[in-house]
Amino acid sequence: MSNDSTATLLHRAIARHMGAPGTVYDLQQLTGGANRTTWSFDADVGGSRQRLIMQLSAAAPDDVPHPLAEISPHPTAEEGAWLMMAAVKAGVPAPKIRAILETSDGLGPGYITERVDGETLAPKILREAAFAPARAKMTHQAGEILARIHSIPLSEVPFLKGQTAEEMIDAQRKVVDFYDLHLPAIEWGLKWAADNVPTQARRTVVHGDFRIGNMIVGENDGIRLVLDWEIGQASDPMQDLGWLCVKTWRFGGKNPVGGFGRREDLFAAYEKAGGQRVDPAHVRFWEAFGSVKWAAGCLRLGMRGVEEMGVERCAIGRRIEEPLWDFYELLEGRD
Amino acid sequence: MPLSTPKATILLQAAVKYLEEELMPTLTGYHRFKTRVTANVLNTVRRELELRGAQAFAERKRLGALLGHDGEVEELSRELAQKIRDGAVALDDPKLRGHISQSLHDALAINNPKWFDR
Repeated sequence: MSNDSTATLLHRAIARHMGAPGTVYDLQQLTGGANRTTWSFDADVGGSRQRLIMQLSAAAPDDVPHPLAEISPHPTAEEGAWLMMAAVKAGVPAPKIRAILETSDGLGPGYITERVDGETLAPKILREAAFAPARAKMTHQAGEILARIHSIPLSEVPFLKGQTAEEMIDAQRKVVDFYDLHLPAIEWGLKWAADNVPTQARRTVVHGDFRIGNMIVGENDGIRLVLDWEIGQASDPMQDLGWLCVKTWRFGGKNPVGGFGRREDLFAAYEKAGGQRVDPAHVRFWEAFGSVKWAAGCLRLGMRGVEEMGVERCAIGRRIEEPLWDFYELLEGRD
Repeated sequence: MPLSTPKATILLQAAVKYLEEELMPTLTGYHRFKTRVTANVLNTVRRELELRGAQAFAERKRLGALLGHDGEVEELSRELAQKIRDGAVALDDPKLRGHISQSLHDALAINNPKWFDR
């Protein structure tokens, strides 16, 4: 679809869902991919200029879906939008949905949200002096936000699919087998995970990818918006706390929580905001397994790089040892 | 490898030097980023050519000692991976841990030696 035809269809969709005239200005594609594109634009609605974002997903493919597509459960675009609405209702700074696109809009599955300014790049957030006030707030905010996400009643989002830790471990083994990878280090990590699955797990809404890169941060006010709800699940809530501590997602920052904070502060904020009592060992499981899971993610992305002959994704394939090294160090008590 | 010179590793070094010192300063945004990634990939290939031969020799010896028989690195790794998954070898076996750690270290020395500097 060209930019022009997207703009024409979008104009009509805005007028229909949000109000006339719906004129679209400054339409820019922010990120692209085979499955999902993000667009930024302004639109005139009922006499005011609104700042908006459109997320589009590829329509259901007619050809045979990728054999690994169903390995981790994903909400559809529309379900993702409902999840964000439930999150906003629970007090989470999630994107505010302004419209859910319909088939007759001709744009494919997707939705329109309000646009929020701020920074998403880890090097700036973690290292620039201007973001020091944000860094001082973010651990507390992250604990509070996660407690609220985990408080969303599952009955409001009945479409969310769940995966237990065992099912996730099994899913990573399927990825490894599909690509015929025989890497003792990843098997070692997966076996460790299988032997150390927490025995007592609750089942709540989890974000699934809560980390720097998926949040919009302001210099003085910290976390403004939590993005990327498309792998939301009904699963063990401690997964979100552990994932935020995975060394890869510290982006070179020295502090264990996302590169910016201390675990005890995250756990205290989480408990104070109404989250369950945190067992650090339980979170530690998800942090350790998170590195192994991300190693399998490197394999998947790398093999997609091979399919498309793209140098960037191919290079990610060669990053598989980074999280596995981190996992090894964590088990040796160094991190 | 042909007997002609320069060696493949030198060709790669020269290609990376052009990308980094001449081409990249003229680029911004998308193409600067992609050129950076391309130079990194070429450096990985160069380090693989320089290091992998000796690494594979040692890896084969380690695997042979762990499994009790000789073979090619790929076959032996396949066998060890399966044994680990099946629980046929203890995860905290010092020889196994030593092998995992050395193999990860070797791979990172090729794929991203900066990972150790963090």
